[in-house]
Amino acid sequence: MLLAALLASLLVQGSASVGRAPVPAAAPAIERRTIAIDEAFAARAHLKIGDLVSVSSRPGAIGDTVTVGAIVRRGADPSEVARGDLRVRMHLDQLQTIAGYGDRVDRFAIATTPAADIPRLIDRINRVAFGFKAYRSRDIAVETSRTFQVVSRFHRAIGIITIVASSVFLLCIMVLKVEERRRDIAALRLMGISRATVVRAIVLEAAVVAVLGSALGVVLGWVVSLFVNWHYQALYRTPLEFSMVTPPTVVFAVSLSLALGIVAGVVASLRLVRTPPLALFGR
Amino acid sequence: MSAGVDSHIVSLRDVRRDYALGAERVHALQGVTLDVERGDYVAIVGPSGCGKSTLLNLIGVIDQPTSGTVAIAGRRVDAMSDREATQFRLRNIGFVFQRFYLLPILSALENVALPMAEAKVSKGVRTERAAELLKYVGLGNRERHRPSELSGGEQQRVAIARALANGPTLLLADEPTGELDARTGAEIISLFQRLNADGTTIVVVTHDEDLASAARRKVHMRDGRVVDA
Repeated sequence: MLLAALLASLLVQGSASVGRAPVPAAAPAIERRTIAIDEAFAARAHLKIGDLVSVSSRPGAIGDTVTVGAIVRRGADPSEVARGDLRVRMHLDQLQTIAGYGDRVDRFAIATTPAADIPRLIDRINRVAFGFKAYRSRDIAVETSRTFQVVSRFHRAIGIITIVASSVFLLCIMVLKVEERRRDIAALRLMGISRATVVRAIVLEAAVVAVLGSALGVVLGWVVSLFVNWHYQALYRTPLEFSMVTPPTVVFAVSLSLALGIVAGVVASLRLVRTPPLALFGR
Repeated sequence: MSAGVDSHIVSLRDVRRDYALGAERVHALQGVTLDVERGDYVAIVGPSGCGKSTLLNLIGVIDQPTSGTVAIAGRRVDAMSDREATQFRLRNIGFVFQRFYLLPILSALENVALPMAEAKVSKGVRTERAAELLKYVGLGNRERHRPSELSGGEQQRVAIARALANGPTLLLADEPTGELDARTGAEIISLFQRLNADGTTIVVVTHDEDLASAARRKVHMRDGRVVDA
């Protein structure tokens, strides 16, 4: 069996409570048990390492006085962000006593070595541990992240709508900006500048503007991401990254912008060069 | 195609130009016959709506007559395709407009070099020639300036240098002093006279009496006809 560690990280739920313990004036030196609490709990209860707290099965009940031995940061699990649970980790035997569960547990985690044959392990546990069902942590994560998949799809839909709307907007802006220069373009045509040259110049300009614009957008997105992460990581006390500007995102944004810029440039310039120069002059 | 009247830079024979204006037909030109000799300096004058600009458009190969023939430098231009006309204008005709139409993002030198780039002149040659032309129009020290950094008169001189870039057979100007004050206008008139004295054939459409008087020849138009050439 590749049992590496049994993590006694059970949630302290309604049947247990943690409260600040009164400190005796001249308490004899006793080696107290320690607990670990998460940052959110420490912040809410104004606890720090070394504080004495009383843990009991019910609020107000006589419990064990323990020392806050560690304040831990939560893992980056999106499913925990909005739940507002407070976590306490304690030694398993103490938890069993306080919870009155004896040696029963609802769930426990098994850490494996990298080389472990996990499907085989799960199969063996399921065969021998009656009443238990073993799952891969990845499968649990997928199961618990269904909400986020829906949210993600929703975001994707918003993104597509935004891209379509901004494409139409970009095209209109491009057409208007090029229309503003119809007389300049008419003058160029009268001087003997070919249609192809005019189209090339406008498309090149549109492409450069699109790339510069998308680069500016990437920088802006990166700065906004820093702010969003800073704000929400502090708010939820989690290392979770709420916003990311990844290389694939940058490549996609720049490519899309470039493609839209080129299309807008082509459409706008073709509209103009197909109009006779005299008509562009308004004659 | 050949016009058969090669001694003239410009040769128009019984040119008519009609426009459809709603249900009506407007007869902008009604049988114009006109010749311009090499080295000539012609001012086309007349009241608004008499057909001056229409005539200039036909000479400039940017419009086609309803009937009649137009030949420039011995070549019939009245039925050219858009591509042919564009190439012809690039190599043979320089345009000067009332409102300059310089590209704002380019320097004076780059504006002048632009038509040469289109004509596939090498970069070194066109830079050198653009600098010479700017010097010729008195802007040798303004090569790097953008149009927004130049006065109206200076912008018009850059536009004239640009019109001369590909060594055109013919320089056409449409109200070149129309946007300028009297003093600056006089400088442009003087520049046209110098250009003509140096061998450039010029046809100018104008309401400016001073500019018209500076020309060697005035062509008076009225109601789509040349009444005095």
